[in-house]
Amino acid sequence: MATLELNQIVKSFGSVDVLHGISLTIESGQFVSLLGPSGCGKTTLLRIIAGLENVTRGGLRIAGRDVTNVPPEDRDIAMMFQSYALLPHMSVRENVRFPLRMRKRGTRSEQDQRVQAALETVQLGHLADRMPRQLSGGQQQRVALARAIVSDPKILLLDEPLSNLDARLREDMQVELIELHRRLGLTTVFVTHDQEEALSLSDTVVLMNAGRIEQVGAPQEIYAAPRTSFASEFIGSANLIPVKVGETATGAQAILPSGEIISVAPGSEPCQKAHLILRQEDIKLQPVQTAVQNGFRATVETRVFLGARIRYVLRLGDLRIKCLAPGTDIFSPGDPVAVSVPESRAQIIEA
Amino acid sequence: MRDRIEDLALAGPGILLLALAFVLPITEMLRLSIVGADGGLTVEHFARFLTDSYYLGIVWRTIYLSVLITMICAVIGFPLAYVMARVRPGLRLWLIVLIILPLMTSVVVRTFGWMVLLGRGGLVPFTFWKLGFVGRNFTLMHTEAAIVIGMVQVLLPFTTLSILGVVMKIDRRLEEASRTMGASFFATLRTVILPLAMPGILAGSLLAFTLSVSSFVTPSLLGGVRLPVVAASIYDAATKTLEWNFAAAQSVILLVGVLLALTPYIKLSGRRHG
Repeated sequence: MATLELNQIVKSFGSVDVLHGISLTIESGQFVSLLGPSGCGKTTLLRIIAGLENVTRGGLRIAGRDVTNVPPEDRDIAMMFQSYALLPHMSVRENVRFPLRMRKRGTRSEQDQRVQAALETVQLGHLADRMPRQLSGGQQQRVALARAIVSDPKILLLDEPLSNLDARLREDMQVELIELHRRLGLTTVFVTHDQEEALSLSDTVVLMNAGRIEQVGAPQEIYAAPRTSFASEFIGSANLIPVKVGETATGAQAILPSGEIISVAPGSEPCQKAHLILRQEDIKLQPVQTAVQNGFRATVETRVFLGARIRYVLRLGDLRIKCLAPGTDIFSPGDPVAVSVPESRAQIIEA
Repeated sequence: MRDRIEDLALAGPGILLLALAFVLPITEMLRLSIVGADGGLTVEHFARFLTDSYYLGIVWRTIYLSVLITMICAVIGFPLAYVMARVRPGLRLWLIVLIILPLMTSVVVRTFGWMVLLGRGGLVPFTFWKLGFVGRNFTLMHTEAAIVIGMVQVLLPFTTLSILGVVMKIDRRLEEASRTMGASFFATLRTVILPLAMPGILAGSLLAFTLSVSSFVTPSLLGGVRLPVVAASIYDAATKTLEWNFAAAQSVILLVGVLLALTPYIKLSGRRHG
């Protein structure tokens, strides 16, 4: 357990800059997700923390110790790879013992006990003598997890560890990761491109885009108050509508390109170019005869049935607006609908 | 749809060539080795070879030189193959060309090059002399060291390329994982890469050993007549003293020896693949 401080980290591969000065402090015991689309530099950042990549400029500290030029084996970290990276020529037991053996932790029998305890933690005590290739994907992943926690590392690094699992197994593992983190309290850095995973697992989400940090915050905060247009689009794929913002006696109003006027959350400054953020699930659809409260009328273009909910794509002039409606609201493509937006959920950010 | 007749037709020329160029001569060799001067069956040729301390000395020299050459090739080839597997593809291509290039020239030419380098006043002894490692100018020619040096140069490409093929297939993330688990670079090389490269090392060593025990040109030219190996002894019997039956018997012994060496190797690598 330890704090992790990243200070102005810059990474270039040849002439290509992948990270543009990343600064971030992760408190001891936190579960932090690095979230972003592929190519945003999140994996490179994780590899820099692990010591598998050098920094071009900047530095980092683990538990207060400058490890910028320390090789991975001396950083006292553990990393779990997307492909699990189990050593194929060693049994499960030998794989889990490997970090203890290499770090010369304890006697042989103490190591045996810790290996067994780590395997029990991931409920694989009975498979200790199997070879990795004899295990299913989910079991291999548990072995990788046991191997990562067995040496009680200062920092646990997880590189998209759940992306190779099928949906059900992934949900189970998410729950286990949360419980494991609560029990062991390891400082954990988790890389993912899956926003739901990031929001559900972490104490803090670090949203990255094109080698920069877009926003750092608690999951609720990132979700409810995105600070940039990228953040709002990436998290929950909200609608981003170009608007003008005006002010009246009753509060701020957004003027849509097609001329409709919507009252927006208080505190928005008037300006000529801004974005109105509408979350898909905040948009309410009603039959077109209904009186519109803070909204507009639009036409249903596409309907996608998702089970509990239905996704509609609406057309308003040149705009396409996505929304998620309860499965009971049935409209057909071509239907006109009344669209209403709760004032408090209509956020404005500068363009 | 292919059927058996078409398979046979396709494989036919190859099988025929093998039969003519391999099975026939081997059969003839086996026959010659057990035919006596009077035309009857005999084991006298084998007995002559296996009871004469001169010939047993040749066998011993052939075996320990081959083992030494094989070991040196593996010890040099493994780190070389590892580096080749881990450099960027452009550089790797150049290294492979560099390794293969000597194979493009005749063994005789390469061996002659070594004769020039190792002989009295040649670059190697001369340098040693001038640097003060030895007291006088000397020759490395006609020594076992010369045979080993020459053979290692001939066989190193085979070993290296065999190992390279296997190391290339080792997932790089295994090394990275090992490093994050507290293993230094050399500890990773020893505990992760070496065991995983073992099938390639075994295959490469096998190749080097079989080529080495049956090699003729390089040991003859660099070792000279006073340091004969089995292949040279067979050559002498067949061409100088014209004792074909004796030459055949020696060939059979060499063949059996190679097969005996092959068996544990194949068992070992078969188990690793299994």
